[in-house]
Amino acid sequence: MPKKISKLGEGIKLGYLCFVLFFAFVPLFIMIVVSFKSNEQYLSNPWFFDHPSTWKWGNWGIAWDTVSGYISNSIFVSVSGTAITLGIVLMASYAIARYDFPGKNVIFYLVMATMFLPGTVAALVTLFDLLMKLNLVNSLWALVVMAAVGGQVAGVFILRNFIEDIPKELFESAQLDGAGHLQQIRHIILPLSASIISVTCIMDFLGSWNNVILPLLLLRDDALLTIPVGLFRLDGEYVKQYGQLMAGYAISSVPLLLIFLFSMRLFVKGLSAGAVKG
Amino acid sequence: MASSRSSQSDLSSAELSKFKRHQFWQKSRLWLTLYMLCLPTIGSLLLFSYYPKVDVVIMSFFRWVPSQIREFIGFNNFKEAFADPQFWQSFKLVGILLVANLAKLWPGILAAIALHRLASQKLRYLFQVCFVVPMIIPAMVWLLIWKSFYDPDFGLLNRVLKVTGGMELLDGMDTFMPKVASLLSPVFNGFINPVFGGVGGLILLGFFIFGSAGRKELEKSRWGDYGLIIASSLIVPVFAWTGLIQTIPGIVVMLIAIIVAMVLLNKRLGSSWIAWPFLILAGITVFWGELVRLPIGIIAAFAIYEIIRSKRDFYTGKPILMTISLTVITVGSLLILFGNIWTEPLEQFHGGNPAWLGNKDLVIPALIFWGFPWVGTVGVLIYLSGLQNIPQDVYEAAELDGVSPLGMIWHVELPLIMTQVRINLIFLTINTLVAYETFLILLGPDGGPGNKGMVPGLYMFSSAFSEGRFGYACALGMVLFIIILLLTIVYQKYVRVEK
Repeated sequence: MPKKISKLGEGIKLGYLCFVLFFAFVPLFIMIVVSFKSNEQYLSNPWFFDHPSTWKWGNWGIAWDTVSGYISNSIFVSVSGTAITLGIVLMASYAIARYDFPGKNVIFYLVMATMFLPGTVAALVTLFDLLMKLNLVNSLWALVVMAAVGGQVAGVFILRNFIEDIPKELFESAQLDGAGHLQQIRHIILPLSASIISVTCIMDFLGSWNNVILPLLLLRDDALLTIPVGLFRLDGEYVKQYGQLMAGYAISSVPLLLIFLFSMRLFVKGLSAGAVKG
Repeated sequence: MASSRSSQSDLSSAELSKFKRHQFWQKSRLWLTLYMLCLPTIGSLLLFSYYPKVDVVIMSFFRWVPSQIREFIGFNNFKEAFADPQFWQSFKLVGILLVANLAKLWPGILAAIALHRLASQKLRYLFQVCFVVPMIIPAMVWLLIWKSFYDPDFGLLNRVLKVTGGMELLDGMDTFMPKVASLLSPVFNGFINPVFGGVGGLILLGFFIFGSAGRKELEKSRWGDYGLIIASSLIVPVFAWTGLIQTIPGIVVMLIAIIVAMVLLNKRLGSSWIAWPFLILAGITVFWGELVRLPIGIIAAFAIYEIIRSKRDFYTGKPILMTISLTVITVGSLLILFGNIWTEPLEQFHGGNPAWLGNKDLVIPALIFWGFPWVGTVGVLIYLSGLQNIPQDVYEAAELDGVSPLGMIWHVELPLIMTQVRINLIFLTINTLVAYETFLILLGPDGGPGNKGMVPGLYMFSSAFSEGRFGYACALGMVLFIIILLLTIVYQKYVRVEK
């Protein structure tokens, strides 16, 4: 970075970043604005808030009644999927990274090869058939299982590399103290890998949260819909009440924003750091 | 245990045997434990990841409706896939989107560079957070908000266009552009089409010249290189002319020939070989139906190179060749822009209520514009991580050489984050080929008006779940998979070589 600071240069940079972010955030702003309007109000003034006395708070009430079920379903699927992924991935990557045993490399390449089979889009077709045979259609557990499976590859890859960098002496001294495998995972790997595990969990959670196609195919009952499918169904209704739709979108965005607030610093740093390592 | 004995030779055979059994048992126990730790990963991947993939291969040979029909039909699904015009038409949309992606990369790159150069640490962090926030909003929410933007009556896009005068501008262009196109049609019919086989051929010639320009030395071995490239370009035409491309064995042999050609190109041409398979593939696409033009076009490019280089050395000849190639490409692009795209009045803007996602002429521009200003959030942060690895000395050295802040982008920052850019480009390409959720949600399973928004993945999805042709969908998926696998292999070499 040049040491002398040019005000014009800084201004250009700030101007460009603000321009880009302005347009990136416009959809969110409009979402909030419209969520307080009726369709008539939206038609007459689409850019900005109307006077507070005319705000349609009822939009949010109706939206909450509709969307709260989607949110709880999505939370169940994403939290369960991420937790199961973490448990399984920790065990596998610990074993692969720490010990030599027959078939270890076969197992690792078995995991990795999944990453190098891109574009098997049609696997969705046969997966659907498999889940039908297992009686998992129209069940949230199908989504939990698939969320857990989907997170394996990146998780094992990242964590194995990380665990290999942890000094062996830590594990050996723990073993001398009588710690078993699970205790070593809990007391050594978890604390030291907290940041990378957090990023991995967040990415898994986001992937599960945003999954569209599988829920669309599998979920039939209204009571089972997750956020993406539920919002998609709402959007499909012929006569749209945009205020209610936008309020629903806004409410659906809150859970992730809350998670982000608590992990913000960790997430921003971890993503950059993780990218370097990757 | 052994320490209790004075020496191992004192062990009786029975005790030695017992010791070995104990040792083996202990090791086996450890191994068993480790296998148990890996079992959930292995089991879940085998059942839910590998089994469906293997099943796709099998079921692509069947006429198949789950739990209803399962009839072996050999290669019929593949024959139908190769003859399916709608399937291959969907790749055309992918091509358009890929070209658009090249333009969409830049806002993210520039944002990362601007972020990296900010003097204030706190300000930089604040902006990083701002770039992450959109990532946190559910993807479906983004999609549906943008979809509402495109609504003819309520949509923000039409409202903004009316207020800013953009709608009148578009209406004026709706009159102007068709007139320009009709003025240009004699150029197409009288010159471009007969000589180049279309404007695509003209642009391709520019790229062939571009690909030739990099050669530094005029060794005699270049004639062998030329021959190999021309021979490679003849593989598909020969199989097409002889009709072998219609048979499965013919296709297999052709693929083998293609792989052999790529290996030979790699050996002869060094790291720059990778451009030619892509150029040839583009040529096959552009010249399909008149494949004789492909080798002729390549020969013409080599001839131009030889003419220029016979009078100039590398350092004065290359700029000339680059100028020629870029001029040809630019002229071709402008001809497409003004002569091929907007050839008829759309009559959608006069009333001020175009249905962007409901009109077959507007749906593709709408898909391209979607997501403006296209700062793919992950992309910005990945570029940023690349930029953070640039040593301070590099900047100081460049500054001493008098490089301007703008020049710094081209000479310092871009080259050093090219790996990240290239990787992002690879993912973008594969993702554009594979992803279809956006199109399904915006346009429905048919791909919108006139199937204009149909991408390969969506076509596979619709074949299975809208038309009930699950076996055919598996075959489509297999074809798509092979294409992407080849791309991935090529890309792996591409990235590694450059490093």
